[in-house]
Amino acid sequence: MDAALTLAASDLVQWLGNLLTFRLASCLALSGALFAIGAWGVLARRNILLVLISVELMLNAVMLAFVAFARAHVNLAKETGLPYAGESGQIFALTIIALAAAEAAVGLAIVIAYFRNRQTVDTRDISLMRH
Amino acid sequence: MVDLLFLAAAALCVISACAIVTCKNPVYSVIGMLPFFLGIAGLFVLLEATFLAAMQIMVYGGAILVVFLFVIMLINLRPEEIRDDFSFGRYLGLAALAGVTGGVILSFVRAGVPPDGELERAFAMGIGSREGQEAMSGGVLFGSAESIGLTLFRQYVIPLELVGVLLMVAILGAVILSKKKL
Repeated sequence: MDAALTLAASDLVQWLGNLLTFRLASCLALSGALFAIGAWGVLARRNILLVLISVELMLNAVMLAFVAFARAHVNLAKETGLPYAGESGQIFALTIIALAAAEAAVGLAIVIAYFRNRQTVDTRDISLMRH
Repeated sequence: MVDLLFLAAAALCVISACAIVTCKNPVYSVIGMLPFFLGIAGLFVLLEATFLAAMQIMVYGGAILVVFLFVIMLINLRPEEIRDDFSFGRYLGLAALAGVTGGVILSFVRAGVPPDGELERAFAMGIGSREGQEAMSGGVLFGSAESIGLTLFRQYVIPLELVGVLLMVAILGAVILSKKKL
């Protein structure tokens, strides 16, 4: 237990040191953490609006990963001479923005239609198709 | 300096994301989306994707946030109607959230980086060094609207049109779904 704790602490120190030179890893760690928070929100919240907001969090985390890889690709192409494609990741991120806007519009329209019929936004009450 | 800014933006994102998923009142959650989106936009600026940062603020902060606020206003739940909103207890949920977040970060830490590996040097980003970047895309700077636009209309024209069709369908679907009587 003690050894594991010191190992984790030394890992953390090493990680903070790497932060100075290795930004892709820190961006990906942040992206993973944000994705996990969003996934937890989708699973745990019972207000449909909060579920939709958590989906937005997850989409933002994915966008961050795309942009971090696109930025890393500039240096990768410079070092290795591979063909440069640094804009592709950004265009995927742009597509995700458009998708998120469409998803929010349709999802919120569904929420409004459901609320008009049932006067609730609680997922516990949405059980018509459970049986 | 850039590292401090990165840490600040990352902390802003994580803290506001935690606030979003743990606040009981949905209005606070939606307000919490604003610092989250601003933090993500700041990260995009630090990654030199300035056009995407502008798009992020305009579309998310300007459009999606306002639409969410509008829907909350339309639904207008009274405070006594907001029931216990969490599947497994609020504080247990917070502990689980901290555990999951820490676990993800630690797993990245444990996976580590090869000390003098090729990959590390290739992927080390070195933000702030502009030399070499401008030569990449025919003299066009990474992350500028020009470079994105050129790639978008040269390489990704069909996906662009498909996204247009998707937005059209989404608009029609939203109108049809939220109309009382067709």
